[in-house]
Amino acid sequence: MRLRSVSVALAGVLGLSSMIGLAGPAQAAAKTTTITFAYDFPGPDFELTPLVVAQKLGYFSAAGLKVNVVFPPDTSTTTKMLTTGKAQIGFLTTTDMGVAINAGAPILSVANYSMRNNWALFAKPGSGVTAANLKTRLKGKRIFSYGDTWTEAMLPFVLRHAGLSTSQVKVITAPTGNDLNYLLAGKVDFSTSTTNYEIPGFVGSGTKGKLVQILGTAVGAPDVPIWVYAVTRGYAATHGATVKAFLSALKRATVWAAKNPVAAAADFTAAYPKSGYTPAYNKMGWQLTVPFLTNAQGQYFVQTNAQWTTLATALKSIKLISSVPAASSYYTNKFLP
Amino acid sequence: MAETLLALQKVTKRFDEVTALAPTSLEVAEGSFVAIVGPSGCGKSTLFNVIAGLLEPDEGEVRLGDRVVNGATGHVGYMLQKDLLVPWRTVEDNITMVARLTRRVRREDREEARRIATQYGLGDYLRHYPSALSGGMRQRVAFMRTLVTHQDLLLLDEPFGALDAQTRLEMQQWLLQVWRESGRTVLFITHDVDESLFLSDRVLVMSPRPGRVVADIANPLDRPRTMETLLDARFVELKGRIMHLLHGGAP
Amino acid sequence: MRNVLIPIVSLVVVGLLWQAIVVLFHVAPYVAPRPLQAIQAVTQNWSSLWPLTLGTIRETIYGFFTGAGLGVGLGVIMAKVPVLQRSVYPVLVTSQAVPIIALASPLVLIFGFSVVVMVIIVAWIVFFPVTVNVVDGLSHVDQDFLNLARVYGASRWRTFVHIEVPATASPLFSGLKIGATYAVTGAVIGELAASSGTSLALYQEHANTNLNAAGVYGTTLLMTVIGISWFLLVVLAEVALTPWQRRSVARRYPWSRRG
Repeated sequence: MRLRSVSVALAGVLGLSSMIGLAGPAQAAAKTTTITFAYDFPGPDFELTPLVVAQKLGYFSAAGLKVNVVFPPDTSTTTKMLTTGKAQIGFLTTTDMGVAINAGAPILSVANYSMRNNWALFAKPGSGVTAANLKTRLKGKRIFSYGDTWTEAMLPFVLRHAGLSTSQVKVITAPTGNDLNYLLAGKVDFSTSTTNYEIPGFVGSGTKGKLVQILGTAVGAPDVPIWVYAVTRGYAATHGATVKAFLSALKRATVWAAKNPVAAAADFTAAYPKSGYTPAYNKMGWQLTVPFLTNAQGQYFVQTNAQWTTLATALKSIKLISSVPAASSYYTNKFLP
Repeated sequence: MAETLLALQKVTKRFDEVTALAPTSLEVAEGSFVAIVGPSGCGKSTLFNVIAGLLEPDEGEVRLGDRVVNGATGHVGYMLQKDLLVPWRTVEDNITMVARLTRRVRREDREEARRIATQYGLGDYLRHYPSALSGGMRQRVAFMRTLVTHQDLLLLDEPFGALDAQTRLEMQQWLLQVWRESGRTVLFITHDVDESLFLSDRVLVMSPRPGRVVADIANPLDRPRTMETLLDARFVELKGRIMHLLHGGAP
Repeated sequence: MRNVLIPIVSLVVVGLLWQAIVVLFHVAPYVAPRPLQAIQAVTQNWSSLWPLTLGTIRETIYGFFTGAGLGVGLGVIMAKVPVLQRSVYPVLVTSQAVPIIALASPLVLIFGFSVVVMVIIVAWIVFFPVTVNVVDGLSHVDQDFLNLARVYGASRWRTFVHIEVPATASPLFSGLKIGATYAVTGAVIGELAASSGTSLALYQEHANTNLNAAGVYGTTLLMTVIGISWFLLVVLAEVALTPWQRRSVARRYPWSRRG
C-alpha cells in the first residue's frame, strides 16, 4: 500500500535518528513493557499523530508501556516485520491484511485506524470533472497509480460505475513517482490517492485554483476503512493485556488529537522535525484525517464483519486473493478499550 | 671518398635555460657506421631527436643530402631500446606498421616483410604476436620495421641496451651483417664502449653540461669483425682512450 | 571445461545453502521462498514474464549502446582537449553522485512515461566508467609510440586509428564490463518510474505488495540472469576483438590479409 510519494519518505528517513528512543516522560515504573511499533511507510508522516500524542502526554508510560517506532524499508514489509518478530504491533492497510491472510500470514487486525474510505480521483484545477460527468471524462485517459493494492482494488469499482473496461483507460503505475507533479505537469490526467495526503500536497505546491476531487465512494467504491492496527495471532494470544493497554492509551490520544488537531499536529512536527514535511502540511493533513476517524455512531476503532467481507469480496473480484474467508479470520474487537 | 649524407652545422638545442646541445657540427658519410658514446645527460638523445625532426634546433642547420630538414620528420629510420612493437599486431603486421601509419599497406609491403623476416630467421613467426617472442627476436622485428622504411639514414638509440650479454653479441653480429647487405648509413647511440668499437667506423664521444662532441675518433679495426677483434691491441688502446675521455680526461 | 564447471558448482552450492536456510529456520513462504519455488514462479508464469523480460532486455541494450557510444565519444574528446578534461570531469563525477531515483521523476516530467527514460537512466550509468577508462587509456598511451609515428610523418588520424585506439582497447572493455553489470539495474529503476502500463519491475513490485515472495525472488533471478548474460556478451566481444591478449599466434581470418 502506498498512497504517498516515496521521495519525501526517503528524505524523512534521514531524520530518523532524532526519534530513536522517543518516549513519554520518564517513569520510574517498576514494570515497563517495551514494544516495537512498525509503521506502514518508510518514513514518518502525520498519520502517526495519535501515537506521538500518546507518547507526549504520557499515556503509554502511564499504562506501563515504552513504544519504539520503526519504519519498514518498503511499503510491503510491515507484515513480515510482525511475523518475524521485528515488531509487535503494526500499522497496515486493510488490503495488506487481505493479501497477508491470503498468503497464510498469521496476523490479526485489532482496531480500525480510520473508519471510512477517503480514497479519491484527482484532476487539475479547472478540468471541470465531476462525479456526474466522470463517465464521459474518464474514457481513454491516463490514471496514475503508485501500484498499491488499495488503488488496484478501488479502480475497478470506479470503472464499472463509469461503464468502462480496463482497456478503455490507461493506468500508469510508477511506484517511485510523484503523482501530483505528474498531474500538474499534464503527464497524467488523473491521480489517485487519499484526500488527507493529496490536498495538503496540492496546497503546498502553491498552484492556483482548487484541486478537482472525486471521492471514490461517490463513484462506486465501497466505503470501508483503509488503515488498521494489527498484531500476530501468537502475540494476541500471549500478550492480550499489552495489546489492550496499548489500544487504550492510543484511543485516549486519538480522541485528544481529534479534539485538538492544531496542537496535535504541532506535537507530530516537534517529534519528527526532519520528516521532510512542513508544519502546514502536517496540520492540514491531520485536520483532513480527523473526520474519517469515527463511524456514523461517533465510535473510534470498532471493526465490523461487513467491512471485512466487503473488502475481501472486492479483492477476490480483482483476483488479488483466491477466496473470501470468514470475517473473523481478519479481525477481533476483543482488545478494544 | 663517399659522399656526405648527413651534415650538422652548429646545431644548438636549449630547454628553457639549460643548453642540452651546444653548437655541434658533424658530417656523416653515406654508408658509414658511426657510433656515439657518452654518459647519460650528454645530449645524445637530444641530438637524435633533432636529426629525426622531433625537436627543432634553436640554431644551426640539419642537412640530409642537399635538403635542410630542420624540424621536419619522415626522412630517417628510428629505433629505440624499447622495441615499440604494438601488442595487437602480428610480427608481419608490425614490420609493415610504418606503411600502415603513413599510407595504405600494399601487397608489396607484405611480401617484403615476409621476405626479410624469412631471410633473417623469423619466417616461422610471421603470425605470432610480439608477446610470444623473446627480447632478442622482438628487437630483430623492430629493426626489420626500421629497414623496410627504406630510409638511407638509420638512427639507432641503444637498441640492444636491454638484452643479456649473449643475445647482445648475437644481435651485434647480425646488425653488422644486415648493415653490410643493405648499404645503409647508421648512427648508433650506446653507452657501451666495447659495442661502439665493435660496430663502428667512427666513434663520437660526447660529454654533458652542455652536451657536446668532445672527440671524433676513427676506428681502423678490420672488418669483418669477430670475437678476435675484442682482443686486438688497437681495440684495447682505443677503448682506453675513450674511457679516459668519458671520465673527463682531455682529448 | 573447468572454467564452466567451477561457476556452475558454486551456483549450485549457493542454491543449496539458500534451501537449507529456508528449511532449517522454518522461513515462511511469504517471507522467502525455496530456490525451486522461485524458479517455478518464473517458469509457470513464463508466458506473461517473457514479453516483460524482452522489454527489459531491449531497454538494457538501447541504453547500453547509447551510454557506451556517448562514453567513448566524450572520452576521446576529453582526452584530446585538456581544457575540456579539466572542466568536464567534475561535472561527470557530479552526475554519478546524483541518486538515480531522484533523477527519474524529472525525466518523466520531460519525456513522459516512455522507454526514453529507461534508456537515459541506463546510458547515465553506463557512460561514466566508459568515459573514465577511455580518458585514462588515451592519456596513458606510451609517448614513445607516438614519437615513433611522428618520426615517420604519420598523420594524427592514422596515429589515432592504428596506435591510440587499439592501445585503449583493454581499459575500454573494463569500462564496458562495469557498465554491462549495472545496466540492468538502471533499466529496473527506470521501469519503476516510467513504465507506461507493464514491465518486469512493476511485475516484481506487484508480487512484493501481494506478499508473493516466490514471484519477487523469481523476477530477481530473471533480472540477474539478464545482467550476467549482458556481462558475458561483453566478455565474448572482448575475447573476439582482442585476440592478442590470450593467443600467441593469430588466427587466419579471411580479412587479415588486408591492411
